[in-house]
Amino acid sequence: MNENGKIDDKTIAALSSAAIILGGLLYYWIGEGQSTVELLELAYGSFKFFNNPLVF
Amino acid sequence: MLGSILSQYARSLAVLAIFLLMVLVEVLDIRDAIYPGLESFFNWMNQSSWIGVIGTTYGSVYATVEALHLLSMAVLGGTVLATDLRLLGIIFKDVPSETLVTGTHKCFGWALLMAILTGIFCAAGVANKVYFMEVFWIKMLVLIAGSCFMLFIKQPLLTSRPHTQINPWTIRLVAVTSMLIWFTVAANGRWIGFS
Repeated sequence: MNENGKIDDKTIAALSSAAIILGGLLYYWIGEGQSTVELLELAYGSFKFFNNPLVF
Repeated sequence: MLGSILSQYARSLAVLAIFLLMVLVEVLDIRDAIYPGLESFFNWMNQSSWIGVIGTTYGSVYATVEALHLLSMAVLGGTVLATDLRLLGIIFKDVPSETLVTGTHKCFGWALLMAILTGIFCAAGVANKVYFMEVFWIKMLVLIAGSCFMLFIKQPLLTSRPHTQINPWTIRLVAVTSMLIWFTVAANGRWIGFS
C-alpha cells in the first residue's frame, strides 16, 4: 500500500507474478508426483511406500 | 490518462504482458516450431565450440567446473534460504529482515552469475544429450523466470520500504515462491544428472 491507501505497482507485480509462478510450479510437481504413482502402480500393481521388491 | 496508468503500473503491466506472451507461445505452437531448429545449435555447442570440445575431451576440467557450478548453487541456495526463512519468521529472528535482504543480495547476484557461466560450460559438454531432456528445458524456464522474479520483483519490493509496511501475506507468498523456484532449479539440475 502507498500513502494514498492504494495497492502500489510493486505489490501488484509481486502478488501476480508470485501467484502465476507458484501455481505453475505446484501444477508441475503435483503432475510429477501423479506420474510417479502411476509408474509404481504399473510396475507393482499398487502404490505403497517402500514396496520395492528388490529391497525386501 | 493512459500514459499515467502505464507509468504508474509499468511493472504490473510488464508481468501481464509476459504472461500473455507465454500463453500465446503455447496456443500458437511457437515453441514446437522453434524447437527442431535448436538441435543444430546444441550439436555445434557440443562438437564444435571450444567449451564443448574442452568439456568432452578433458574430464578433469569438466569435473572442476561442475564442482564450481555446484558450489555456486550452494551459495545461491544459502542466500535464498537465509532470506526467505527470515521473511517467514523461522530463523534469524534477532536480525532485521531488511538487513538480511540487502546483505545477501550482492552475494546472490555473484552466485547466480557464477552458476550461469559454469552451467553454460557444463551444458555444452552434454549439449547433444540435454537437448532431448524435458527436465533441462524446465530448469532453464524456471531459472529465467526465477532470476527475473528475484531481480525485478522481489528485491525492488523488499527494498522499497520497511517490511512492517508491507502486507505480511505478500511477504510470505513471495518467500514461499522464491524457495520453490530455487528448489525446482536444483532438483531439475540433479534430475539431468540422473537421466
